[in-house]
Amino acid sequence: MSQSGRKETVLDLAKFVDKGVQVKLTGGRQVTGTLKGYDQLLNLVLDEAVEFLRDPDDPLKNTDQTRRLGLIVCRGTAVMLVSPTDGTDEIANPFIQPDGA
Amino acid sequence: MSGGPGLESLVDQQISVITNDGRNIVGVLKGFDQATNIILDESHERVYSTKEGVQQLVLGLYIIRGDNISIVGEVDEDLDSNLDLSELRAHPLKPIIH
Amino acid sequence: MLPLSLLKTAQGHPMLVELKNGETYNGHLVNCDTWMNIHLREVICTSKDGDRFWRMQECYIRGNTIKYLRVPDEVIDKVQEETNKSRTDRKPPGVGRGRGRGRDDPSGRPAKGMGRSQDDGGAKGFGGGRGRSGPNNRSGGSRGGGRGRG
Repeated sequence: MSQSGRKETVLDLAKFVDKGVQVKLTGGRQVTGTLKGYDQLLNLVLDEAVEFLRDPDDPLKNTDQTRRLGLIVCRGTAVMLVSPTDGTDEIANPFIQPDGA
Repeated sequence: MSGGPGLESLVDQQISVITNDGRNIVGVLKGFDQATNIILDESHERVYSTKEGVQQLVLGLYIIRGDNISIVGEVDEDLDSNLDLSELRAHPLKPIIH
Repeated sequence: MLPLSLLKTAQGHPMLVELKNGETYNGHLVNCDTWMNIHLREVICTSKDGDRFWRMQECYIRGNTIKYLRVPDEVIDKVQEETNKSRTDRKPPGVGRGRGRGRDDPSGRPAKGMGRSQDDGGAKGFGGGRGRSGPNNRSGGSRGGGRGRG
């Protein structure tokens, strides 16, 4: 509806087409894949999509286990975050933490 | 109009906000909108504990999204400055359940 | 002052965004829209528990997943400047203004407009009041690591 209509100009997804993207969805699922298409509602078509499985004991946590999903459509309303996989890496704590608070 | 006029009188005053995840943030209300998104300036979080006094974390300038706000309250600054937070013990609030 | 105006003014500045799921993102704001959707560059993502970190070149975050944004203190002064500037800019051309009965605002802003009560622009009295150097990545990150709530 009015949610996320029209100008989704904040991010130009065109530059990600045929590139790897990481998508986080409401509810906690996380997938990566090659962006094949999208629309203004942020529905996404991902090819060769891979889902990161979650810790069965703590569904809020992702593990490094994956499952292959193939060609999928991500519903725009469920998309929380999109980022290119290129240039995305896990790193050591970049914040100096004097106390372990 | 939804909830708008109520906050107007609190602009530039100290307010206390309880967020959906149970945090208590105190700061000066600098602005708000129809969705109850608010701007808090010079804000700090008060962390409650039963074991030690209230900890205050400096947060600075914050925009809090309206759908994450449970309660907005006016702070009586005289009353508030007379509180000895280091002697206060309280259970932390639990997050709200949807 | 509207939260989204402040956010707009914060473009180009570093900021910390916490999502409803507890993850935090430190990055420079590239762009935002009226839904609070935001585009960040040079981002560091911190997991909910503050134990894992990712660097990403950029990311797009949907507004409705945001819990709060922490922006540098100085940004609020910039908003003030901009609203003041646009106000003074507007006055000279408004010559026809004194003639009316003061009811019709030539700028066409709604009478109930919330941004208007800033006529006291100069009375904003805390010059030295802010004793902080503004949010930086370090405090944000250690915070992300520190909470372990729920």
